[in-house]
Amino acid sequence: MTFFLDQLLNGISLGALYALIAVGYTVVYGIVQLINFAHGEVFMIGAFGALSTWIVLGTVTGGSTAWWNLPLMLVGGMVVAVLTAVLMERFAYRPLRNAPRLAPLITAIGISIFLQEFVRLFFGEIPGFPDAKAAIPFPQIDFFTGDPVNVGGVLVHRGNFFVIGALIVCWAFLWWFVNRTATGRAMQAVSQDPDTSRLMGIDVDRIIVVAFAVGAALAAVAGVAHGLRYGNIDFRMGFLAGLKAFTAAVLGGIGNINGAVVGGLTLGVVEAMATAFMPGQFGGPSWKDVWAFVLLILILVFRPQGLVGAKVVDRA
Amino acid sequence: MRIPTIFTLELQKRHHRIGRLLALAGGLVFAVSAYLPWAYASGALDDMSYLGGPSALQFLGLALGLILAICATMGLIEPWAGAKGVAPALLKVSKRVGWTRGAKVTGIGMLAYIGVVLLAIVIELGGLVTVEWGGWVALAAAVVGLIGTRLITPGRPPSLERLRTPGWVGILAIALTLLGALLLAAYALNQVDGGSFVVILTFAGVLAAFILRSGLGGWLSSISQRHRTVLVFAAFAVAFLFPFTQNGSDANMSIATQVLIFAATAVGLNIVVGLAGLLDLGYIAFLGAGAFTAATMSQSAFATIGWKPPFIVVMLIAGLISATLGLIIGSPTLRVSGDYLAIVTLAFGEIFRISMSNLDGRDGPDLVHGSSGIPAIPNLNLFGFDFGAVHTVAGIPLGRFSNYFFLMLLIMAVIVLVFTRLNHSRIGRGWVAIREDEKAAEAMGVNVFGLKLLAFAGGAFLAGLAGAVKAHVDQSVTPDQYIFLESAFLLAAVVLGGMGTVMGVILGAVLLKLVPEKLRFVNEYRMLLFGLLLVVMMRVRPEGMIPNQRRVLEFHSDDEELIDEIEEDLPYEFAEES
Amino acid sequence: MRSKNLLGGAAALVSASLLFAACGSRTEPSAGSTAGATKTAKVGVIAPLTGDLSVMGIGIRNSVDLALKQANESNEIPGWKLELAPEDDQATPDVGANAATKLASDKDVVAVVGTLNSGVSQSVQPILNAAKIVQVSPANTAVSLTKGADEANPKRPYDSYFRTCATDAVQGPFIAQYLSDTGIKKLAVVNDKKPYGQGLATAVAAEFKKLGGDVVADETVNKDDKDFSTVIDLMKAKNPQAVFFGTEFQLAAPMSQQMKNKGLNVPLVGGDGVKDDKYITLAGAKSEGDLVSFPGPDVDTVPAGKQFAADYQAAGFKDGWSAYGLTSYDAGKAVVAALKQSLPNATDASSARQATIDAMAKVSFDGLTGKVGFDQFGDAITKTMTMYEVKNGKWVANKTASVK
Repeated sequence: MTFFLDQLLNGISLGALYALIAVGYTVVYGIVQLINFAHGEVFMIGAFGALSTWIVLGTVTGGSTAWWNLPLMLVGGMVVAVLTAVLMERFAYRPLRNAPRLAPLITAIGISIFLQEFVRLFFGEIPGFPDAKAAIPFPQIDFFTGDPVNVGGVLVHRGNFFVIGALIVCWAFLWWFVNRTATGRAMQAVSQDPDTSRLMGIDVDRIIVVAFAVGAALAAVAGVAHGLRYGNIDFRMGFLAGLKAFTAAVLGGIGNINGAVVGGLTLGVVEAMATAFMPGQFGGPSWKDVWAFVLLILILVFRPQGLVGAKVVDRA
Repeated sequence: MRIPTIFTLELQKRHHRIGRLLALAGGLVFAVSAYLPWAYASGALDDMSYLGGPSALQFLGLALGLILAICATMGLIEPWAGAKGVAPALLKVSKRVGWTRGAKVTGIGMLAYIGVVLLAIVIELGGLVTVEWGGWVALAAAVVGLIGTRLITPGRPPSLERLRTPGWVGILAIALTLLGALLLAAYALNQVDGGSFVVILTFAGVLAAFILRSGLGGWLSSISQRHRTVLVFAAFAVAFLFPFTQNGSDANMSIATQVLIFAATAVGLNIVVGLAGLLDLGYIAFLGAGAFTAATMSQSAFATIGWKPPFIVVMLIAGLISATLGLIIGSPTLRVSGDYLAIVTLAFGEIFRISMSNLDGRDGPDLVHGSSGIPAIPNLNLFGFDFGAVHTVAGIPLGRFSNYFFLMLLIMAVIVLVFTRLNHSRIGRGWVAIREDEKAAEAMGVNVFGLKLLAFAGGAFLAGLAGAVKAHVDQSVTPDQYIFLESAFLLAAVVLGGMGTVMGVILGAVLLKLVPEKLRFVNEYRMLLFGLLLVVMMRVRPEGMIPNQRRVLEFHSDDEELIDEIEEDLPYEFAEES
Repeated sequence: MRSKNLLGGAAALVSASLLFAACGSRTEPSAGSTAGATKTAKVGVIAPLTGDLSVMGIGIRNSVDLALKQANESNEIPGWKLELAPEDDQATPDVGANAATKLASDKDVVAVVGTLNSGVSQSVQPILNAAKIVQVSPANTAVSLTKGADEANPKRPYDSYFRTCATDAVQGPFIAQYLSDTGIKKLAVVNDKKPYGQGLATAVAAEFKKLGGDVVADETVNKDDKDFSTVIDLMKAKNPQAVFFGTEFQLAAPMSQQMKNKGLNVPLVGGDGVKDDKYITLAGAKSEGDLVSFPGPDVDTVPAGKQFAADYQAAGFKDGWSAYGLTSYDAGKAVVAALKQSLPNATDASSARQATIDAMAKVSFDGLTGKVGFDQFGDAITKTMTMYEVKNGKWVANKTASVK
């Protein structure tokens, strides 16, 4: 039973990470029907931004890992990630808004490769920064790393508290933002009908930028969570995480924020359970990604609106 | 983000004579400067340190200078000849050439050329001081030439394509053009020095731009339309001759063979993406399926299947297995389209790779030894022809890779034939209809699902054939060769070259595979540049380098002039087949 | 009428340039001037110099470079200068094959050190063998590269192939023996599904069972994975006393860290691919007590090892020598030793190729990893291995032993 609870917790915390990234895919897709393939890289850049903030702070504090570093790192990561996403939108995606659908997708692949390489080649060139060609240790902030905590017989890795807590806070914030603020309601309007919203006086371009920024901010939180949970970050961490998060977004129903959260948690739990409990030769960790992708294909074919239900389904 | 016009029309009208003279002077001085030393020491590029003895690259510069000079002069000669009545027949031809446009683009190109040369000298010898005075003269001449060409008033659009020329002239032109391309390619490939390669690439780019802007390109394309078979045969003949320019060296042939395999796969992908408009992000899996099939049935001691049929049979089986996978991957297209389909194919690609590395006897049946793959695949031996041995033809030794190159050329010919026949058939028109508007196509009675499946299966079959050869060329097949990035590269080749055209895709494949191999000194930045290239290309020329005319319309739906121009040409394509 | 003058001017210019062409002829630098001087032989290196394995690849290149530089400085082979020809294989077989073909068609190349990945060697071996160029790998551990498809009935596939690193058949038993000797009865085994990790893990598990131990868990992870929690839980449920992880340091470090963060406080044991200082920085303070094996005696105490570290420092390389620097330096030395036999009798580099292969089989000297020499399959004869332990954030030699 403890073992099962362990796996459930593993799955939920992994899923929370996916969910935080998946929100970025879903918000942007809901508004411009664009698969921002480079979103995984925004997540990676968020983690590097947080790390940079810590390194810069370290010149004053001498590398302190006290808890108050964390909010500063989060802000630093968010600033860098949001900036990246906004620049990306402005210079790569916006000119292509009316182009055939292939063009933005290929642009996204291009940006993705570019950002990875950019970080790999130039992060270490900044004086005082470690070489990013291999993985870099992420600062071990007190409380969120260290010995596991015993919660009712289950040993909980402390990083899990952060990622699950972050998801709850971010989800609540998003709900408030989308439903209670003018900008949030404008986002809803644009996602339903951009042309009419424009007629109603909504600055659609601004709303799109906001969508990219919101997604990037959450991705940066995910980046920090990743660093705390796994202890190190590297320039390639965005690709697979992004792919999985996209799967999660589709699973829940793309375009739907609640769907992204549900999809992320479902995918995380399915992965953990498939690793731990699937018997026989075709089970275990070596096949878990295969089962995750099979699940994605089945969902796309038989329930394209996802578990929770997407707004936009048939966009060719 | 428009660049502000410095050389306004008024300025041009006032100073066009000076402009013409400046352009002429710039071109001539540039040409003469080839005889001056450009570099201080012999170590840079192909030794430009001589006075009075131009190196090969300097001769290329000389050619550019002369082109500019001629273009600039023609604007002066034409009125004079017209008034005097000299050579009226030639004048008629000359009036159809876009001399001014050619001059303008050559002006820019000349500056780019000398810029790249000087940059290469500075980098290779270290420091600005290593540029000799001749280099500065050339640079000054190029700047003067550029200012001059900018001052010339815009010329008339070229209309060479309407020129009626006798058949033999056209055929001769095709042959000469392709032969020139072969020599230039062979020359470029034999450069060991990365800088020289870039310089030649720049020259080729400038020359191509000149040919296109001056209307020569239009003429060439109109004659190649008329002599399509000649063109195709000539192209294959030129490719066939390529190994003979290598003096028995296998270094370039190894790259060339891999380029051909890559290009063949890209043409297969082009059926799916370019014709039927179905985005496939996991296409490399089909190449992999072909390679793994061929490897497991090969004579390798590591092969896991006891049955070892002759290679022709293996190749067909590899193609059929790939095609079956294509059918499986294509089946969700019944319900999924657009971006969702792209994700489905991406997922299939990943499933293929992970499954292959799991088939190691531990997590699945021991079919391909997991991530170690199947090594030591022997060379092919077809009808007594040993692909591993060196064969001497006409005194020129042709090594192992040349043999495979010929085989791949044959397969490429088949693939191109299949592609063009399909494109110009009922099936091809069905695909285009699906691509443009699926619902309308269905309403018109097009079997949408069947045709989509056919596109997937057909493309996969061709990739499977290429994969079977690849197994023997690489002599080892491992799952890590078939990662997502390779699929992205294939797609990039199709998109950069031009979707829906054979020539464009081959060009894209050649550039994507060849340039990184030759530019190993920028290897570290290779992927960075590749990413940037994709983004920039999508922004400035989303239809690719050699676009399909119909697709240009799709990307530039707001450019009225262009639409008229294209629509005028379009009916021919349809009339031919009905 | 101006145009007429212009035309005349142009004609004058053209004829002038023709005149230039006639008198200024380009003379080739005379070949005779260099004949008396030293001849050049090139030693290729094929390794990943870009991409995420470049840390190791660059370490290989630098170490070989150092060996060649030293040979040139001490004029080891009179009349010959050795030159390094590094080629990037991007850890991909196709690119490696191109690199090998490029080196093979260069007449000056006599030997190649590389590759890092066994998978790349599979494509490189046949090309170099056909060109009669000797290949010495500092890092390939797949047994089949020297013994063919059937391990029980070994047959050497390529006579030109040698290696200075320990194969799984040496390293595996050494690790199993060590663990068994230190009283470990229950071992969990993980691998990353790459040829290196999988082969080594299989060898360790087989030998450990033979010694009477119990392999309680046999798991795999994906090489792109970041999250090992479920795998760790699976192992934890079986209460192992140690975890052997067949992989390189990039994955081993996070595994060690996550194991301890999840409360699985047993040492992580790795092979030679893990012995990199980056492992300790990445895994953090909790890597204390983790173990790795590495071929040869304890490098840090042997004078030659200290000398190598000092020389490497002095040569001013930007990057460290990483996991395979020592075996690469030995490979470079072995190449120099073989060339010492083959080059003096040769007129040019390409004619010395076969002689170099023959000489390589007889090479024997004391290197950093012990006695450097090759058996009839081309495998390193050194069966000496050392176990290192992380103590106070440093690798400390624990036990050196020879494997039968």
